[in-house]
Amino acid sequence: MIFLLRRLAFYLAAFLAAATINFFLPRLMPGDPIRMMFASAGSELSLENLNALKLTFGFIDAPIGEQYLAYLRSVFTGDLGRSIKYFPLPVTDLLGRALVWTVGLVGIATLLSFSLGTFLGVMAAWHRGTRLDTAVSLSSIFASSVPAVVVSLIMLFVFGYTLGWFPNGYAADPMLDPAWSWTYLSSVIYHGTLPMLTLVIVLTGGFAVTMRNNMINLLGEDYIVMGRAKGLSDQRVMLWYAARNALLPTVSALAISLGSVLGGSLVAEVVYNYPGLGNTLYQAILARDYPVIQGQLLIMTGAMLVANFLVDLSYVLLDPRLKRA
Amino acid sequence: MSLLQGLLRNRKALVGAGILIVIVLLAIFAPLLTEYGPTQRVGRPHQPPSADHWLGTTRLGYDVFTRLLYGARVSLAVGFGAGLLITVIGTVLGIIAGYKGGVVDEVITFFTNMILVIPNLPLLLVLAAFIGQASPLVIAIILGFTSWAWGVRVTRSETLSIRQRDFVKSAEMLGESSWRIMSFEIFPNLISIVGINFIGSVIFAVITEATLEFLGLGDPNTVSWGIMLYNAQNASALSVGAWWELLTPCVALAVLGLGLALLNFAIDEIANPRLRTGGMLARWVGLVRAGEGRL
Amino acid sequence: MSEPVLSIRNLSIDYVGQAGDFRAVRNVSFDIGPGEFFGLAGESGCGKSTIAFAISRLHRPPALIRTGSRILVGGRDVLSLDPAALRALRWREVAMVFQSAMNSLNPVLTIETQFYDVLSTHAGLSRAASRERAAEMLELVGIPADRLSAYPHQLSGGMRQRVVIAICLSLSPKLIIMDEPTTALDVVVQREILERIHRLRQKLGFSVLFITHDLALMVQVSDRIGIMLEGELVEVNEARAIYTDPRHAYTKKLWASIPRLSGGRTLGDAAR
Repeated sequence: MIFLLRRLAFYLAAFLAAATINFFLPRLMPGDPIRMMFASAGSELSLENLNALKLTFGFIDAPIGEQYLAYLRSVFTGDLGRSIKYFPLPVTDLLGRALVWTVGLVGIATLLSFSLGTFLGVMAAWHRGTRLDTAVSLSSIFASSVPAVVVSLIMLFVFGYTLGWFPNGYAADPMLDPAWSWTYLSSVIYHGTLPMLTLVIVLTGGFAVTMRNNMINLLGEDYIVMGRAKGLSDQRVMLWYAARNALLPTVSALAISLGSVLGGSLVAEVVYNYPGLGNTLYQAILARDYPVIQGQLLIMTGAMLVANFLVDLSYVLLDPRLKRA
Repeated sequence: MSLLQGLLRNRKALVGAGILIVIVLLAIFAPLLTEYGPTQRVGRPHQPPSADHWLGTTRLGYDVFTRLLYGARVSLAVGFGAGLLITVIGTVLGIIAGYKGGVVDEVITFFTNMILVIPNLPLLLVLAAFIGQASPLVIAIILGFTSWAWGVRVTRSETLSIRQRDFVKSAEMLGESSWRIMSFEIFPNLISIVGINFIGSVIFAVITEATLEFLGLGDPNTVSWGIMLYNAQNASALSVGAWWELLTPCVALAVLGLGLALLNFAIDEIANPRLRTGGMLARWVGLVRAGEGRL
Repeated sequence: MSEPVLSIRNLSIDYVGQAGDFRAVRNVSFDIGPGEFFGLAGESGCGKSTIAFAISRLHRPPALIRTGSRILVGGRDVLSLDPAALRALRWREVAMVFQSAMNSLNPVLTIETQFYDVLSTHAGLSRAASRERAAEMLELVGIPADRLSAYPHQLSGGMRQRVVIAICLSLSPKLIIMDEPTTALDVVVQREILERIHRLRQKLGFSVLFITHDLALMVQVSDRIGIMLEGELVEVNEARAIYTDPRHAYTKKLWASIPRLSGGRTLGDAAR
């Protein structure tokens, strides 16, 4: 419990840090921060609306400390301002709608690639030095050294354009209305396959290498030799003595890698024109829609922290040494 | 310099280094290898590969092969420049945190952990968006200052274990200053960690620069592989069938990634003997097959 | 002496290197009789643990047991067993206590499960039957049965080593190999464990192959002792003879390096 509470306090501090960056960044840039933040609005924004936005972002006639508090107040009451491009749509609405797709995509891709990568890592470590090991290790390191953009584009070229097996964009057939029907769901799966596959290719290698190295470092431990000496089957020793213990550092590595998982998904969404956060963000970048760009940092950080907390929880379940407290 | 000797004897390291050297040479001798300039309209738009234009032309009529060669300069410079910056910051902070301990350590560790949980790409997007159209130099600098956390974590934990060793203790007894101990006693023992950190950071920097530019946060007038991707995407190169414009920077980035990955793998293998594969194992298998013994 | 429990003949083991081999064990032969407590002593790196690992064939590449070596357990040639027969032999006939007490139990499984692993694999016991047997074994080594649901980190080093010994005894093997079983423990615990093994052996009648670099300790507990030097077995004799009348120059040198104690030696003295 104490462990989890300490993590929670730390996450709160991290979120505060992200908000602080958002607050100071426009104020540190040369020029008038207000003009910069809302420049893309042109003259369409009425004075009244502009003032409301200024208040949200802490641009008030007061010392910087009070401005900062005003901004934090907005952030912690869930007011991230309004999109300039899609005025008056609130940033939380715009991003929240997109977040559903991203969380689905990233969540499933992470689960798939973590399972697959961990499995490959276990096999490679157990058969270390063999051809299987070399093949898994080399291809894993290679896959995680190529930008996600490149993998997405090549996949899109091969399977989308050349072979025509999968669609080139959207989360579902745009002619269909969203509903809990098989037609709609199958369309979602069909459209999601290519982005999903891309993410799995990009992510699996990293998990495989981590698991392999962790497990090889454990294979000399006495309890693993004792497992073999006990006459247990190879599978039992491999899974419950070696892999089960190597999983602990792998899971904590998972928490750190979630950032790059999100990054990969942003890129894949842009390439596949997938209506998640990445694509929304891409449109915002092109339009220099700063409230949205700032909002995504907070939402992404929030998502990262929730995911990290879930990893912490699973860590407590996996490691009996933490359960006691 | 056992690391260097190990690298020279490692086949993966040699292949990786070979790939890098070829890319570097192509970048350096770009003007000798092509008659065109990288920002020169030299043909009609979207010409497929031909004898005149080995890799075709872009929508604006630039020669793709020429842009590939010149683009390598920027991608390599940002990759190695930012990689170096990330490594230097990570190593210095990691050694200080691990050796000094106490409040210094706690402060550094706190910020390190914080940077690790704030997602990197979204943070970079915000920074780059406010900077406007970021030149390669600016991208390298913001990468350097936001991505050192992983290096600190690894270096710090290694420093913690080296600090306990006898030669550090005896240097302390002799009253050597702490910066001397950190730079002459501890640092030399971290060389392989620093090497892995450096190659990993270069990979990260190459990937991230390409990503930021692809997402439209770079300066569109630069000639780099990321901007080539951005232009190709904007020109809808795939849907109009101009695959050469898009696939060229893709393949280039993949090959560079392969070279760096091989180097990374080799250093890891040499630094951590337990992870080593092959070698004496081949001889062992031979002996077993020859019936000389068994397990 | 009746048929030996363990019989090692011309055992040679190499660690294969890229250029040449390191000859860890050279042409070693010895027997251990039923109920006998056999000690194997020598400096670290002399090959004693390599022999211990070879008996239940726990080695991994690049270790290589040279052709011509023979290891017989209860008259059966261990080196010619197929994988299934080898698994059946492990623990059922030869159990093993490892060097590091802190580290030989799997940290993520309860003590009960670590018993169950053995009892279900070899004796086909159900969870309930296994729990009963495990409780019985724990009692034998003086640990209350309610610790069965504990994880290893919740036990002290000495308790963990006693748990390992209990797991060793749970299938009533003929031979227990103890590879430096007490080096990681403090002196008091070390003595307690050795006394316990001594009593259990009288009660249950298993043989022990005891490995340590601590010759003084070994003389106290062993029936016979083998002295190893750089992979070779240089002297085998009754424990008393090794102490009072060492033959080989190396044995004499070993004794010379230990401050000798005069008078009646007991377990406690030997533990220094």
